[in-house]
Amino acid sequence: MTSIGTGYDLSASTYSPDGRIFQVEYANKAVENSGTAIGLRVKDGIVLAVEKLVHSKLLVPGANRRISTVDRHVGLTTAGLLADGRHITGQARKEAQVFRQWHRTPATLKIIADRLGAYIQMYTLYSSVRPFGVSTIVGGVDKTGPGLYVVEPSGVYYGYHGAAIGKGRQLAKNELEKLNLTELSTREAVFEAARIIYLVHDDAKEKEFELEMSWIGDETNGLHVPVPKDLHDEAEQRAKDALENFE
Amino acid sequence: MDHFPTNWGRPNYNTFDAHATYPLHVHPQPSSSADGVQHTQQPIVTGTSVLALKYKDGIMLAADNLASYGSLARFKGVQRLQAVGDYTIIGASGDMADFQYLQYILDNLIISEEINPQDGHKLGPSEVHEYLSQLLYARRSRMNPLWNSVLVGGFRDGQRFLAYVDLLGTTYKASTLATGYGAYIAQPLLRKAVEGKEDTLTEDEARKIMEDCLRVLFYRDARSINQYQIATISAAGASISGSLKLETSWGFAEGIRGYGGQTQ
Amino acid sequence: MRYQSHDVDEFAHVRIASYWPRRVSAVGTRVQPSVLSTPSPPPLFSMFRNTYDSDNTVFSPQGRLHQVEYALEAVKQGSAAVGLRSKTHAVLLALKRSTGELASYQQKMIRIDDHVGIAIAGLTSDARVLSNFMRQQAMSSRMTFNRPVPVNRLVSTIADKAQVNTQEYGRRPYGVGFLVIGQDHTGPHLYEFSPSGTSFEYYAISIGARSQSAKTYLEKHYESFADSNLEDLIRHGLHALRETLQQDKELTINNTSIGIIGPKGPHEKVVSEEGSFRILEGEPIDVYLKTMEAKAAPEAAAPPPAVGDEDVQMAE
Repeated sequence: MTSIGTGYDLSASTYSPDGRIFQVEYANKAVENSGTAIGLRVKDGIVLAVEKLVHSKLLVPGANRRISTVDRHVGLTTAGLLADGRHITGQARKEAQVFRQWHRTPATLKIIADRLGAYIQMYTLYSSVRPFGVSTIVGGVDKTGPGLYVVEPSGVYYGYHGAAIGKGRQLAKNELEKLNLTELSTREAVFEAARIIYLVHDDAKEKEFELEMSWIGDETNGLHVPVPKDLHDEAEQRAKDALENFE
Repeated sequence: MDHFPTNWGRPNYNTFDAHATYPLHVHPQPSSSADGVQHTQQPIVTGTSVLALKYKDGIMLAADNLASYGSLARFKGVQRLQAVGDYTIIGASGDMADFQYLQYILDNLIISEEINPQDGHKLGPSEVHEYLSQLLYARRSRMNPLWNSVLVGGFRDGQRFLAYVDLLGTTYKASTLATGYGAYIAQPLLRKAVEGKEDTLTEDEARKIMEDCLRVLFYRDARSINQYQIATISAAGASISGSLKLETSWGFAEGIRGYGGQTQ
Repeated sequence: MRYQSHDVDEFAHVRIASYWPRRVSAVGTRVQPSVLSTPSPPPLFSMFRNTYDSDNTVFSPQGRLHQVEYALEAVKQGSAAVGLRSKTHAVLLALKRSTGELASYQQKMIRIDDHVGIAIAGLTSDARVLSNFMRQQAMSSRMTFNRPVPVNRLVSTIADKAQVNTQEYGRRPYGVGFLVIGQDHTGPHLYEFSPSGTSFEYYAISIGARSQSAKTYLEKHYESFADSNLEDLIRHGLHALRETLQQDKELTINNTSIGIIGPKGPHEKVVSEEGSFRILEGEPIDVYLKTMEAKAAPEAAAPPPAVGDEDVQMAE
């Protein structure tokens, strides 16, 4: 980034001479430093998993969740600044509720992603605000089937079969591409998700981490809920075993 | 009355600026609250009585399936009992449109208070009742009430809960409750059958009491119907029956003399 | 209803703020000072580390928010507070400063509701604004649901409030950190709130000046806290708090506050049946101070540098 310090990178409302908005690019940097989050869209549902970095052993395990529920059928997780992630979660909940208010029916995933994208984009227009330092994965099952989207700090969003954001995204994407996602069941996807999170975690460089997972599918009655403890523990054990065989 | 025939059938000058005179000093005024605002004066499509009682294992509620339009039996398959969260069932009489709005509000409430946080802090019946009473009282204080009487029954942490709240925000608790016409006809029967036996009445006995009361109401209340639902809320959770039919007998009608068209 | 977001112009504040002229000249000053016809004042920003740190609406090229990190420094200017919890109790301990012998000691703890209390470190006036907000939230919960507000949700509301101050121009992040203890039907809890807009639940934690020393103590002993009784919990808290003292200073009944939630302890006289939040100050804490054990080897454990050794980043 040769333009650093030239003054064209101090505001979201300023283009650089070559047409870039540096503040948005810097916001992406905040995302890249975060623990990895992935989403899998499979045959009958979706699975979300995050590598929750634990900055102190005094933290209560299992508290301080990174995956949240937007509506009965929609889950969301973010990578980047935690506080911004909570803001986005709150906004996603508002959007889901407002849609319900107008239409008296739950919003589809595409609509929630679209509105979140529009909201996030507005924070890239003005010097009086900074962009959001988060990328967001929203996933769920609506009347059209499973849906999975990633909204970036620029406000752009795409649909995915498998999505990865945060520090280990590249490695995670490589692993996701090897999977036959459209054939997997949600239960199988839970095992894959756990394995990928364990694989991308960098033991040497990183602090401790906690695996956090949620799912929506036939087995959950279309509700977004945390992966039940026994399944979670089994997936975690298999992930650890796979890692040993891998190395 | 506008006496100029040329104006007949045309938009009123007060509401339509036909000659595009705006912004001259006279321009259409939207009707404003300066003229006075009229809020709901009466319910339109209505449900009649809701009954509820405490029994050994929890709370039982009952309501028929009719929504009347005045004296017309307009909708015959309307459910007036509704579960709210895991521990509560409400039953509503009064305006059915307002009840549908209440259901929407409570659905949103469950999403924002339970589905979203998923932190184990769920709403019990006393919380739902308090919320409803605050809502209904606030609406009546704005002179725009939601025209319902609502019974809130629930079971949580081994405790039964049964309370009433209405369009004025009035609340009370009792071991038997009835709204609407049922407050006159069924409540005395319920009290006689239930009071003092709350901890011994079985579900079957309670159901029998409810059916008897509903039957009497069907005979006496011209806004009732012989199809009804019964809901229970207990340690086992909430359950609302399908639509049931009341067994009634009308043989006695033949013996009645002195009304209607009979001529002896 | 809580949300009516589409009925109002949510971005009015953004648009209006963007019309403010100050911002334009500020950018101009930074970019090309020579263009200005008037003699420019000594550039204020030159005293800062870099050009990305004078404004909370600017990301640094590394994706950091320097203004937020400086706000976290403000927390460290305040005297230390320590919190820890067992299965039955949660306690707060704080070190009060005094400006002189004729002055009283500062207030470090605030009661929010029967079931919630906080200890503060940083800007006291910011703490008053936020604690007032917390009290309103607590009362609102009792009003609408007849229920004490769940502690985690109470902490989340102020965290969400603080996040906005890290993102919009014309505001500054709050300069205060909280330790929040409370109890609800899921038991006693301890949370840390920080100006970055985050909140975390801990078994034990400390904030404020030299809090790293207290943290080190807590990390060494926290596994025993869960089953501790109230006296042991307070003693551990006092030991941790003692670590934050400057040399030659000690904890006294004047400079120490203790906040407790949970059932009555043997040294307490009047406590509500629910074990409501109470603050102990002065004479009543003497009995706890006397239970403290002398420091093991004061020379061996060298006190860490006063400032600048702690993780100053906005938690990702």
